[in-house]
Amino acid sequence: MSEHLRYGTTSLGAGVLVLPFDPRACVLAWHALGREMLRHPLPAFTRDEWAYLVSFLDERHLGEIYVANFGEPSAQPPERCAWLARPRGRIALWLPNNVSLLGPLLVVLVSLAGCPVRIKGGTRGADLMSAFLDYAREHVPDGPLKRYLHQQVELDFFDHSDPRHARMAAEAAVRIVFGSVVAATAIEALPHPPDSTGVAFIDRQSEAWIEPKALTIQLLDTLVKVFSIYGQAGCTSPRRVVLLDASTTELSAFRERLALRWGETSPGEPEAYVASNNVMARQLAAALGWDAMCTPANRSVLAVGDTSLPLLDEPMTLHLVSATLEEAVAALPQNVQTLGYAFAGRVRQDFVGAIARSRIKRAVPLAEMHHFGPIWDGQEFWRQLFEIVEFRSQAEEGPR
Amino acid sequence: MSRLLDRPPYDTRDDPTFLAELEALVRHHRAGCAELARIWPQIGACRTAQDVPFVHVGLFKKLRLMTQAPGIRHERLLLSSATTGAGSSMIQLDEQSTQLQSRSAQAILADFVGPTPRPLLVLDGLASLRRQREVSARIAAAMSLRQLATDLHFVLADPDNPASVKWDMLGDILSSSDDFLMYGLTWMLYFAFGAAEPPRVVRERLAEKRFHFVHSGGWKKLETRRIDRAAFDAALLRHVHPDSRVTDYYGLVEQVGIVYPLCEHGYRHAPVWAEVLVRHPSTLVTLTDRVGQLQLLNVLSLGAPSISVLTEDLGRVVPGDCACGRRGRRFELVGRIPRADMRGCANV
Repeated sequence: MSEHLRYGTTSLGAGVLVLPFDPRACVLAWHALGREMLRHPLPAFTRDEWAYLVSFLDERHLGEIYVANFGEPSAQPPERCAWLARPRGRIALWLPNNVSLLGPLLVVLVSLAGCPVRIKGGTRGADLMSAFLDYAREHVPDGPLKRYLHQQVELDFFDHSDPRHARMAAEAAVRIVFGSVVAATAIEALPHPPDSTGVAFIDRQSEAWIEPKALTIQLLDTLVKVFSIYGQAGCTSPRRVVLLDASTTELSAFRERLALRWGETSPGEPEAYVASNNVMARQLAAALGWDAMCTPANRSVLAVGDTSLPLLDEPMTLHLVSATLEEAVAALPQNVQTLGYAFAGRVRQDFVGAIARSRIKRAVPLAEMHHFGPIWDGQEFWRQLFEIVEFRSQAEEGPR
Repeated sequence: MSRLLDRPPYDTRDDPTFLAELEALVRHHRAGCAELARIWPQIGACRTAQDVPFVHVGLFKKLRLMTQAPGIRHERLLLSSATTGAGSSMIQLDEQSTQLQSRSAQAILADFVGPTPRPLLVLDGLASLRRQREVSARIAAAMSLRQLATDLHFVLADPDNPASVKWDMLGDILSSSDDFLMYGLTWMLYFAFGAAEPPRVVRERLAEKRFHFVHSGGWKKLETRRIDRAAFDAALLRHVHPDSRVTDYYGLVEQVGIVYPLCEHGYRHAPVWAEVLVRHPSTLVTLTDRVGQLQLLNVLSLGAPSISVLTEDLGRVVPGDCACGRRGRRFELVGRIPRADMRGCANV
């Protein structure tokens, strides 16, 4: 088996990443697939999902992942080596039932690490993982990536009582679970090698903080788009928008403008069950003390209130509140994940401290809330797909 | 107390009285139910049924809505079966409304099964009736026939197992009368009775007895077996006297006592103390002769704000008179709003 050595310098010093393929070729193969995807979209994916997948496969984006973790590539071996990185081994990946793009995105990232992967897909809901895998296996250019996708990526569907869960856990060097706390706990309890690693991405909630002065039409449209893709079903979707230091009048005006943009940017009618559920959610929100309204065609619900009111678990309900930065931090849910923000100018001085004092796992501009990457839920999970071997070159050694 | 209940259920409509009673009930519920006052902060005059605000049926799964007022004594809690995974509907029953609803069910069902009381066989277990403080939707549905029954027999040993029919007991009961009512959920009735092979002795007795089968509830479990209405009826009727009949009725657990049996010409009719509208899901405008969400209204509920409920059932209001002779709004029940899980990553 041929090995490819990629030299680079990190905070540990100069070192070498050893992969079973040329990482540059792998990146270019994914990039080529992205170009093909532009020409031949799959109907199983929404337009937004497909567009994001294509942008994710861009060679600059994927190349940056190697650079961020293993430094800029160097053609020459370093004079003094400090580390060697190699793929940790087989990966077991559990995906949730209503999985969106997580499966395809994870497979792309895992492929960059060259690890064989066994995936357990959700047994209910649309199967985007199979659709993408089949598409990629067919359309990716001939070469190592194509062989990898055919030979090293396995996808199965089975229920929670199936013995294959135990087999996956027992043979994996890295277990990655997307799901509920219960599911992640159950998988972690399965017998697994003591030197293996578990990465759990559990149920989380996200929100957005916006300064009133940042509320341009473009930002309103971005908010509509970011929320509409998955509603509350997405762990990176905002369930609540905090309009920082806003007056009651500003909050009401914000809701009116947002509702207007919803009608403009989302023409047509939603599915009947979505519209019907929103009619119910509007009433539920009102009953619980929110000032709630449906957006045009009952596409979503905008509920205005304050941070003391209970949030509704309704797929297309977006809560709008006003709060100071400190109040916003105090009102964050325990399982907060992404904070999408929008400031009129530069990031506020007190914002960094507020994030540090919170449990927020990601703080990104509003438009990037759904962007997936090698750091997730506060963990450098992609880096954990590698073992870092202390590997000092001889010149470093000598009598002390 | 509704004056309309004194009239035959499918008499000529008296919409002014109906609307006046509805409007009074809207005020009554807004005054006695804080949640409703917040849901309906402003309401105008109810000049037509379209003006009457509604409560979405799903809200009864989220909140235990009840209306407090002098003279209203809340009793048991009616719980629906949680078939859609969204939890049970919680309907607070009260003594006064229960009386009205009982009269309503009796009048409507008598119009379809006849007024003569006869033994009622219920496809359920006796234990279901004995639960304290709570009553299941299935028992409530069976009890809508109570006023038309001389006596009541629960014929299942296990309420959840249609194969647990107590055939020996049934055989004994059959000797007590020539005419019987039998109620069961649609799928339960099929599997317990239609698809079953009774013991020979029971079969011989059944062949001499006139049965009026009454069933309600969804067809989902039968659709997977490709059992349509004709096959369903034939399966039930094959065991019993040729004069036997089958009546399918539709109703909401949120509106006990208001039932909509299927007439001989394939339609369902609103009694004079109820009304049916169809609304477009996105615009909520009312539709005639087009499929949309059914909104069911009635004037019989005092202790819970279920006088006007927007359902998640799809139907079509059909203009014109029905050949069956019943007056009042007629409609077709088309099915339920199809659902799908939203994509995301928050659930497993």
